[in-house]
Formats: sequence, C-alpha cells, structure tokens
Amino acid sequence: MTDPPAPAATAAPPGLGQLFTGMLMVALSAFGGGLSAWSQRIIVEQRRWMSNEEFLTGLTVARLFPGPNQINMAVYVGTFFRGLPGALAALAGMLLVPFTLLMGIGLLYFQFHSLPALDRVLAGVVAAAAGMALSMGFKILDEYRKDPVALLLAAVTFVLMTFFHVRLVPLVLVAGPLAMAWYWPRRSQPGPPAGEPR
Amino acid sequence: MPPLLLVAAAEAASCVPMRLNDLGHLLQVMGTFLGLSLFSLGGGNTLLAEYHHLSVVEYCWLRPSQFADLYALAEAAPGPSSMIVGLLGMGAGWPEGPGWALLSAYGAEIAILLPSTLLMVVACLSWNRLRESPWRVAFERGLGPITLGILFAVGVKILQTADTNAPGVVVSLLVCVLMLRTRISPLWFMAVAGGLGAFGLINR
Repeated sequence: MTDPPAPAATAAPPGLGQLFTGMLMVALSAFGGGLSAWSQRIIVEQRRWMSNEEFLTGLTVARLFPGPNQINMAVYVGTFFRGLPGALAALAGMLLVPFTLLMGIGLLYFQFHSLPALDRVLAGVVAAAAGMALSMGFKILDEYRKDPVALLLAAVTFVLMTFFHVRLVPLVLVAGPLAMAWYWPRRSQPGPPAGEPR
Repeated sequence: MPPLLLVAAAEAASCVPMRLNDLGHLLQVMGTFLGLSLFSLGGGNTLLAEYHHLSVVEYCWLRPSQFADLYALAEAAPGPSSMIVGLLGMGAGWPEGPGWALLSAYGAEIAILLPSTLLMVVACLSWNRLRESPWRVAFERGLGPITLGILFAVGVKILQTADTNAPGVVVSLLVCVLMLRTRISPLWFMAVAGGLGAFGLINR
C-alpha cells in the first residue's frame, strides 16, 4: 500500500488495529447521534489521518453508493489506508458496540414483548417512530423542488409502490435506467471518449 | 374497524411460515439479505418497505406489530438504524431458540452489508476514474428522484404498519413536522410518546 500524497499536517497512515480502535471511538462518541460530525472530528481533527477534503470526498462516495451512509463512510476510511482488510477492520470497529447492544435489546424484546405494560409503551414509541419515517422523504424534497421531471419520477415511484404494490427490486431495475438515460449529461465532452469504468 | 386494521389482520392470517429446518432458515435469511444489499439506495432506508414485505407478508418471520416495534427499537438504539436487519434476522430465528436467533441475526447483518461493502471498496479504489464519468453523474441524478419516491412510500408503509389509534396518528404527524422544523433529538419524541402509550392515550 503506497502512502497517499499527504500534506505535512496529516499523521502517519493508521494500521488495521488503529483503524479498528479509531472507528470504535467514533461509534462510542456518537451515542445519541451526530455520527458523521464525530467521525470528522476524530478522523480529521484529532488523529489527522485525512485532510478535510479527503474526508468530504468520502462522504460523497458513501452517499452515492448503496449501503448505509455511516457504514459506507467507515468502509471508505478503511479502504483509503489499507484496502479491503482496512475496510473490514473499520467496519468491525464501527459496529462492534452498537450491534452488540442492539442484540441485547432484541433478545429482551423477543423474550418480553408480550407483557402488556411493555406493549403499551411500545405502541406509543411506534407512533413517534412512524413520524420519523414519514419525515425522511420531506427531508430531501427541497433538493428537487425546481425539477419537475424529478418530482414526476418521485410521484410515479411512490404511486407504484404504495397503490400498486410494485416491489423495490423490479422498480429500481426498470425505473433506474430510464431515469439515468434522462439525466445523462448532455453537453458533449471535448476529446475522445475516455476509457469508461466497466 | 378501519381498513388499515383489516389489511393487517388479513396479512397476519394469510401468512403461513415455510417449513424449514434451522439451517435452512438461516440460509433463507442470508440469501434474502444478500440479494437486497445492492438496492439500498439513499442510505438504506429505502429498503424498509421491502423488509416489511419479506418478513411480515412473505416469510412470516414477524407479525406487523412486531415489525413496527423493531423499527422503533432500531431507531431508538445508538448506531446506524440500518442495523434493524439484525433484529429481523433475530425474529426469523427466534422460534428455534435464542442461540439460533443470535446466529441468524449476525448472518442477516453480514449478508446485508457484505455486497455493498465490497462495491464500496471497489468504488473507493477507482474513484478518481469514476468521478468524471458520465455514468456517475447519470446515476447520481437519476436515482435521486427515485429514492425520494421510495422514501415517501416507506414512510406511508411504516405509518400503516404502526396502525395506532387516532391520537397515535396525530402524534406521528406531529413528530414528522417537528423532525423537519426543529433540531430536537428524536429520542425525546419517542420517550414522550412512550409515556403517552403507557398511560393508554396511544394504543393499537
């Protein structure tokens, strides 16, 4: 693995163990939220593994590709320094504590969820969680306000899923390429078509 | 009886679990999530409606109310909320005992993360070439609106699955507005709503 052309401010690239403990620290600090802010603070400011620009590139890649954003971010940090083993070490560090905790919660839930008192509390919690789920679409709606085609695409997708019960995989496989064709960058690039990935 | 309840009751009644041995169950769980991993657009929440369909309607791992409970628990617990897949796997394995349930939970989580992780590694290593590619631009701009539509459909699906009484729906709508307008931690909303449930104001 070659060193990235690091500016003087960045520290030595971390090893697998450091990637693991670094992401473990991020996950522990982020109890209660703000995961990406914490990973920026720890990775860029405290440990100086990456420049801020490299970190922000990671956020872009993490959001673009499939998979949970925060988990993809851990994969990016790991891959950046140590390739696939680094990705797995970072991922393990990121997930170890939260997932173990969640498993404990899950075991308790399946053991005790039929208790009437617990069920009543959960009925309320579920109502709040449904409100959170409902807000997800509205959160990114603003980005598409000025693009009628995007709004139409979103509306058709919504109607197909909600009222015609079209499943996700066929929907994405059909609508995805159509939308990509529509949004294909039109302005012809100068020069010959460069070698495209795949 | 409101129509939502009827739908939920019909789903629960018509769902007959497949007869599989414990290892078969585990393989079913892992295969399911392996196949879905690369479709987790927009941070993974787009898969929730599909998770609901598979675990409640198709494979009968969970009752609708349990799915809603697990979604709420995954949101409330610290860490990425996409870890709900671990809880779904646990539900699938629960009939075979806690040991298998844990194994199934880890299997499910590994299955949902592995393909997207491998793709992400490839993407990171070739990002300099990908960045300027028209494929990337078209993918980003084309899949965005589809993600938007899916997220709205997921929101409605979770609201239907929550299936609370009228005060509960009012709380859901209120939380939705507060999520968009304020920066209050959602844990507060869940704590208050949980209290309302304990006192019987919200029920299902």
